[in-house]
Amino acid sequence: MLREGNAMEKSDVLTFAGRRFRSRLIVGTGKYPDYLSMQRAHDASGAEIVTVAVRRVNLDRTQESLLDYIDTKRYTLLPNTAGCYTAEEAIKTAILAREVGLSDLVKLEVIGDQRTLFPDNEELLNATRVLVKEGFVVLPYTNDDPVMAKKLEDAGAAAVMPLGAPIGSGLGIRNPYNIKIILETARVPVIVDAGVGTASDAAIAMELGCDGVLMNTGIAGAKDPVAMAEAMRHAVLAGRLAYLAGRIPKKLYASASSPLEGMIE
Amino acid sequence: MPWRIEARATGMELIVNGKRREVTEGATLTVLLNELNINPLRVAVQLNLEIVKRERYENTVLKAGDSLEIITFMAGGAE
Repeated sequence: MLREGNAMEKSDVLTFAGRRFRSRLIVGTGKYPDYLSMQRAHDASGAEIVTVAVRRVNLDRTQESLLDYIDTKRYTLLPNTAGCYTAEEAIKTAILAREVGLSDLVKLEVIGDQRTLFPDNEELLNATRVLVKEGFVVLPYTNDDPVMAKKLEDAGAAAVMPLGAPIGSGLGIRNPYNIKIILETARVPVIVDAGVGTASDAAIAMELGCDGVLMNTGIAGAKDPVAMAEAMRHAVLAGRLAYLAGRIPKKLYASASSPLEGMIE
Repeated sequence: MPWRIEARATGMELIVNGKRREVTEGATLTVLLNELNINPLRVAVQLNLEIVKRERYENTVLKAGDSLEIITFMAGGAE
């Protein structure tokens, strides 16, 4: 069984915009106690994609560079537009990110509300259209709204990334039925982004049939980020395997697993 | 012939990431990044709102009053 699992890990890949990734877990870089624990957590997570923010260089040079702790031969950097509240800001940030990293990947975030960090879908859609035209591989962070997911896909998004719950909330997958509907209609990968608090949340996302899970706080904010990163790696693999294996239907009553014939009288 | 006394290179003021900063007059972008101890392979630079491609840093001569944004990847995001 373990051998078959390993075979699955090798053949079952996450694909978007012609890129292939063996790991279906995408991890962040924020909120870690220090860069060393971040580096160890990345390693333990097995992730191949790491999200980064795009900001002004700190000219005081009192801080170490994040990039000293990410081996770009091993990890694909996924710049995000976190902190942007308009399409214009997000587009500008994405264009600068492309200059820094010389890659056209962007995790597009356009926030609509500071308290919930829910996306502004109108601005998100506008920004997606512009960036796709500019040649970007756009991965938009959106609500768990099937209509919006479809619109983003039609606008050329390379994947859709519905939230499981508000960013950093750790509430898990609050509306699995919406995620299921998104999965039924989407022709691009569906990656749950935000809300995952613990391993079972990640497993649930994968059992639903999601193509991947993106998380940061769930790992970085754990008491032991490295151990949680490993737990998340297992959870994503287990959830994916369970999805591929095909779960039994849920039934209200018992169904005996021992034959009724040959009972001792 | 009298010795010409080299005028000491005077500084000029730029705005870098929103803050005033003095650099050698006539410095190129490469010189500025070097003075700031910044690895050019890890940043993007906007000069007066225009992105300067990396291969043009060496030939981009800065002028007093130029406004620069030097951008890089940092830890964070909102996941």
